[in-house]
Amino acid sequence: MIGIPTALLLGTILLLLLLFVAARGSMDARESSSRSDVPLLDDEAVIDPCPPEFVARIFSPRDWEFVSETKSPQLEKLFRRERKLVALAWVHQTSLAVRRIMREHTQAARHSHDLQFATESKLVLLYAELMFLCGMLFLAIQSAGPERVRGLAVYAGTLSQRLAQAQHDLKAITAGREFHSAS
Amino acid sequence: MNAAVKLVPVQAAYDDLLQRSLSKISCDLARLIYLASTRDYNSGNYHHDGLAVRFRPDVAGKALEIAHRQVFYQLSAYSLEELVEQLRIYLDNSHESAADVLRIWQKLEPYRVAIPVEVNPAVARLFLSNVRLALAIWRFRQEQAPKNP
Repeated sequence: MIGIPTALLLGTILLLLLLFVAARGSMDARESSSRSDVPLLDDEAVIDPCPPEFVARIFSPRDWEFVSETKSPQLEKLFRRERKLVALAWVHQTSLAVRRIMREHTQAARHSHDLQFATESKLVLLYAELMFLCGMLFLAIQSAGPERVRGLAVYAGTLSQRLAQAQHDLKAITAGREFHSAS
Repeated sequence: MNAAVKLVPVQAAYDDLLQRSLSKISCDLARLIYLASTRDYNSGNYHHDGLAVRFRPDVAGKALEIAHRQVFYQLSAYSLEELVEQLRIYLDNSHESAADVLRIWQKLEPYRVAIPVEVNPAVARLFLSNVRLALAIWRFRQEQAPKNP
C-alpha cells in the first residue's frame, strides 16, 4: 500500500506527463501538417472528426501489403512517407476537432443553469483521454508507422465521434429546454 | 417543410445526372474528373447545360455538387489496389497515350483540382496521397514490363 501523499505525487507526475505528451504530439503534428500538401487548418475552422471508415483506411495494413508485393524499395519508402504524413494530419485534425468541441461545450456550459456533475465529469475525462491518445498516436506513428497502430487509431476515432455526438445531444437538449422556458 | 419541398427537385436532378451522364462513364476516377470539370474555377459553382434546362441552374448545380462529393468519398475509400485499377481503366479509356497522361499527372498533379470544396481535410489528404502512390505504382509497372515480357 502507498500513502496518500505518494499517490498524489505520482498522480501529479502522471498528469503532467500526459499533458506534456499531448502538447508535444499536437505541436509536432501541426509542424508535420504544415509541411503537407493541403493548406493547414486553423484552430478556428469548423472541423468535424474524420468518418470512421477513413480512419480504418488510413491505418490499414492492406495497402502496405500491396505495395510490398512490388518488392521496390523506392515504392515502399514513398508509401511509408506518404502514409505517415496522412496519419499525422489525421491526428492533428482529430485533436483540433476535439478541442473545438470542448471549447463550444465550455461556452455553452457557462450559460447553463442545470449542469450535471456526472455528465460534465464524463466529458472532461473523455476529452483528457482523447488528448492523451492523440499525443500517444503521434509518437507511435513516428516510431512504429501507421499500420502498426491501427487499433489505437480506430479507438481514438470512435471516441472522438462519441464526444462529438455527446456535445451534439447536449446542445439539442439545451436548445429544447430554452425553447420550452421561453414559450 | 420548405426544405423537403426543395429537396425533391435536387433528388430528381441527381437521379437524372446519374442515369444520363454518370452511368455512361467508365469508372469512378473518370466520373470525378468529369464532375470537377463542371465546376467554375473562379466561383466554385457547378454548371451543366442539359441538366439546367431540364431543372433549374441552381438545382442542377446542387445535384452536381452532391454527386461530386459522393464520388470523391467513394474513391477515397478505395484501397490502393482498387485505385490502381481505377487508374488503369481511366488510362485505357483515355484518348491520349497512357505514358503521356502519367507524365503530365505526375508533373502537374491536375487531380488536385478534382477535390470538392467542403470535404473532410484528412480524407482530402488521403485521396491526394493515394493518387500519387497509384501513379508511382503504375509507372513502376510500366518500367518493369519490358524487362519481364
